[in-house]
Amino acid sequence: MARENPAEKALGLLRSRLCDPNFAFKALSHSDDSNYSKLKFLVSSSITEACNNSILLLGPRGSGKIAVLELVLSDLLQEYPDMISVIRLSGLLHSSDNCAFKEIARQLCMEHQLVFSRMASFDDNSQFMIAMLRECGLAHKTIIFVLDEFDLFALGKQKLLYSLLDAMQSVTSQAVVIGVSCRLDADMLLDKRVRSRFSHRKLLFLPPANDDIQRLLEHILSLPTDSSFPPDYAVAFNAKLQNILADDRFKEIISTYLNFDSTVKHLLRYLFRAVSYMDLESGMLSLENFKAALSNIQRHPKLECIKDCSILELYILVCMKRLEVKEQNSYNFNSVMKEYKSIHDSVKTSDYFARNVCLRAFEHLLQRELIGYTDNRGQNHSVEFSPVKLLVSFHELHQGLKSYGSCPKSNVLGLSLGSGLEYREATATSASTLCLSKPKTQNPSLSFHYLLNPSSLNDPLRQSFKSFTCLCLTLSCSQSTPSLSPLWFLPQLPFNYFTSQATKTLSEIHFRYLIFDTIEEKPLAFCNTEWVSDHFQAVIY
Amino acid sequence: MEEKDEGAKIKDQGRDQQRGNHQEKTKHELVHIIASTNSDMGKEESPKTTRRTTRSSAAATSSKNVVEETYVSSSQPPTLSDLVLGEERESFSLDDLLSSFPGRRNQIQELLQLLGPRNSPMLPIFVYGGISTGKTSMVLETFRHLKRPFVYSSCLSCYNPRILFESVLNQLFLHRKNAVNGYSSAKRCESPSDFVNFLREALVSILGNLEGNSGKLSSKRSGKANGNMIYLIFDNLERVRGWEKGSTILPLLFNLYDILKMPEVTLIFISNASPDTYYSSMGYVEPISIYLPDYTQDDLQQIFLRNQANKKLYASFLSVVLRPFCRITRRVDELSPAFSLLFTKYCEPVTNLGVVPNKELNQRLFHYFRPHVAPSLNEIFKVSSHPSTEVEVRETKGKGSTRKFGDCEVDQLDFHMPTSAKYLLISAFLASRNPATLDASLFDSTGGSNSRKRRRKASEKSVEQKETAEQELLLNPGTFPMERLLAIFQCITSIGEGSLDEEEEGYDGLGIRNGNGGLMSDVLLQLSSLCSANFIVTGGSCPLEGSTRYRSTVSEDMVLKVARSIKFPLSKYIYR
Repeated sequence: MARENPAEKALGLLRSRLCDPNFAFKALSHSDDSNYSKLKFLVSSSITEACNNSILLLGPRGSGKIAVLELVLSDLLQEYPDMISVIRLSGLLHSSDNCAFKEIARQLCMEHQLVFSRMASFDDNSQFMIAMLRECGLAHKTIIFVLDEFDLFALGKQKLLYSLLDAMQSVTSQAVVIGVSCRLDADMLLDKRVRSRFSHRKLLFLPPANDDIQRLLEHILSLPTDSSFPPDYAVAFNAKLQNILADDRFKEIISTYLNFDSTVKHLLRYLFRAVSYMDLESGMLSLENFKAALSNIQRHPKLECIKDCSILELYILVCMKRLEVKEQNSYNFNSVMKEYKSIHDSVKTSDYFARNVCLRAFEHLLQRELIGYTDNRGQNHSVEFSPVKLLVSFHELHQGLKSYGSCPKSNVLGLSLGSGLEYREATATSASTLCLSKPKTQNPSLSFHYLLNPSSLNDPLRQSFKSFTCLCLTLSCSQSTPSLSPLWFLPQLPFNYFTSQATKTLSEIHFRYLIFDTIEEKPLAFCNTEWVSDHFQAVIY
Repeated sequence: MEEKDEGAKIKDQGRDQQRGNHQEKTKHELVHIIASTNSDMGKEESPKTTRRTTRSSAAATSSKNVVEETYVSSSQPPTLSDLVLGEERESFSLDDLLSSFPGRRNQIQELLQLLGPRNSPMLPIFVYGGISTGKTSMVLETFRHLKRPFVYSSCLSCYNPRILFESVLNQLFLHRKNAVNGYSSAKRCESPSDFVNFLREALVSILGNLEGNSGKLSSKRSGKANGNMIYLIFDNLERVRGWEKGSTILPLLFNLYDILKMPEVTLIFISNASPDTYYSSMGYVEPISIYLPDYTQDDLQQIFLRNQANKKLYASFLSVVLRPFCRITRRVDELSPAFSLLFTKYCEPVTNLGVVPNKELNQRLFHYFRPHVAPSLNEIFKVSSHPSTEVEVRETKGKGSTRKFGDCEVDQLDFHMPTSAKYLLISAFLASRNPATLDASLFDSTGGSNSRKRRRKASEKSVEQKETAEQELLLNPGTFPMERLLAIFQCITSIGEGSLDEEEEGYDGLGIRNGNGGLMSDVLLQLSSLCSANFIVTGGSCPLEGSTRYRSTVSEDMVLKVARSIKFPLSKYIYR
């Protein structure tokens, strides 16, 4: 009986659209210079002309590489039936050569109705593949190898890649190798012998332009006006939707969201959340749904964590912060307890607890991952003695304390004391060390990760902080890797966050000069976070 | 009254049908047991009935019922309906669901909205929140309410990739480990690629079944296996990060939805750690997250009031204890054992537990009880190894003395440690704490007390700059080789004997006074047992010397107590 409810049906339809990336990319694929048409042209020409080819599809995660490829493949399978067989491998599953050959043999057997033996050796499998390539070439049948997570195949000895690309050098074979990767430097990872056999064709996938997104939103969210829905309902729904889409507030929401996640997949994820909030009573989407989804998707995990802490745990955090301010580069539970005692001595509070209670609170903090061990867990120290570090930045701690409901005074006191020290210290040391000090004291990847967390973007302090860490990392990366790569593809970075417009146009060298000039000109500039955000606005956002 | 009977019956059924725990129910249940603190279990809305019927390894063979049930269950092949939680005709309404989780209304509603109506596909979601905030039970109970098929596997009990994969596959293949198949899994599956292949196979067959069922629309089936979606739940995901192959399994799990490309399958991750801690160099499209914050004080009040016999009395008790305890921790699993002990204490003056407290009584109880609150705050995390009754007996015996609470650990040490081990512990502590260069001056048996002091002062200066800076900084015990430990041990045992004649007891003197050979073997044995008890840890070996170095981990307080028990003047030998 629930089947008849049009609202529920509409919700189901929208959800299934959002869960199917092919649907979204179909809408984007019809212009002539889209990746879809380029890829289709490349593959179909190598099918019709019976030649070998190899292509790399590169772009940040969620930009629809696989979805576009699937569209192309399904079209080609319809156009040229019986002339294509597709072998799909994923670097996540088949990164070892042995496993990959086995999987290739298995899929080839499935395709050609042969019996696959699980016992076949590595050699058997690889020879079988070469033989099949030759046979298929003679029969004018193209084998398309899709290698998802291509960079993972390049980790080991690259036997698979070598034998695949080497087999394609002969005239008899007829195959297309399509690598899909999130790393722009994926072809640089290849060995020399493999690279020389690779065609160096690359397709870049970039986030869609603004008007594309408008089109996409309409395409996904509007209901069909054919017979599947009651006509007046569908018309009303679409009219409401048009209203929302034209609303300036809605545009603002979407652009806020796209500022940190502009790939299509992330947009779909956001829309999914918004759509699932749809009110089934009225059966209409509303602006509130999108607002709620935005606030729910922009989270501050560390701040939430601090809010969850008990008073005692906050005390310990503040103690650690104070120790850091005092430039103790390494401290453990015992030194924290000493600091705790000194706080208690100076400000008499009721919150002075026994050591074992504090130890448990300390362990809670470790579990919450607000603090962590400085060295890896290999040590056989007990908890009290192993050195620890804070995994939250000062600003996060400060904000967390400010928003904490029943915050005792001495915490704030301790912190403000700490912050005073920090700024004095900043004037003494040079600005560059300060701006680099964060990644040094903390685990760089970790601190970096949460700095870049999209949820923290609307926080001005974090934003500026992010900007300079980003710059610092650009510097450190540029020193370690000589090859110049655009920022959003640096392999160490979770590049799905790096999709700002600026980085597309400005090179890394530009950044470097900008920073060095700034540091020379105004050494203290980096202390003042507002200054950074003001002056780098043009560069960062 | 009848309602209660019904509830009890359902519960009994549930209990009877518990057959082993294929899927790490222990933690899940613990949460529930805690949620219904020390109480009568007659309430119907108590979520303790959470039992996945059937499909299990028949591991528990403790009770007769279980054995019988195993027999019955092995005769019936598992069916699709086993993937649904709850009894066949049992109805578990939304109100029941909401009332069984105080303070979680928003989160449950959000989860329901994301799960959506029947048969609507869904993107993966990620449920996270601190320990004991009800993540697992909330998700499972929601599925019990929805009656949709799901597969639950916890990365805590499935502690490596193979077991995790096989646990998921077993449930999907409707395979039950039992004596007939030699307790083996449905498929042997070690590599991720095999897992994905098998998973696809299993899902296709299961989804075919589900569709067939919903097509049939028979009245008997309609209560079961609602819809043709299947949900894979991975609990305790944060564990995977610590696995040996965690760096490959995590991206696999996060990308599994994209790899499978089956809209009828959805993943739900449950984790203690927030999504930002799952950093990987590969990156992934983050799942949709739902956050469960820790319980607030008001939520805790509601939770603890559930299932209490005398709510008024307990409320007055909570008004006294909850606030101070919340300053330390807000975790239910830690508060409830502390409260259960305190409540009995609180009730001591009351003869009739069913009494409705008035203002006067409350004040009387409060005055009686107040002195207990402050010390108990510092006892909150004490894990008592005795059953609670015994603890009570000890407490009543030692009335008045302030030491009775915390010292049971050290008291036990007194009884269970041989004297030579105590000496060894002290010498290890001294070796860790004192700089090695001062040993000669501290333990010089020939020098008088005057000369010792002088020499000590002289050497103090030279050592000070080097040692204090490093050692005081971390307050970290230093390492020492075994030779030094034994030398100190020799010194202090001889001192201990010389100065304290009355301490001389038959059995402890023997080991120490005897010749070196006997002593050494005994001491080495003690040393290794102290090491295995984690009082002394073996540190990294020095690359130059090649011998292992030791480090003492005992706190100063404890060593002082040990020293007091053998009347050893420890303070003389600690370098400050």
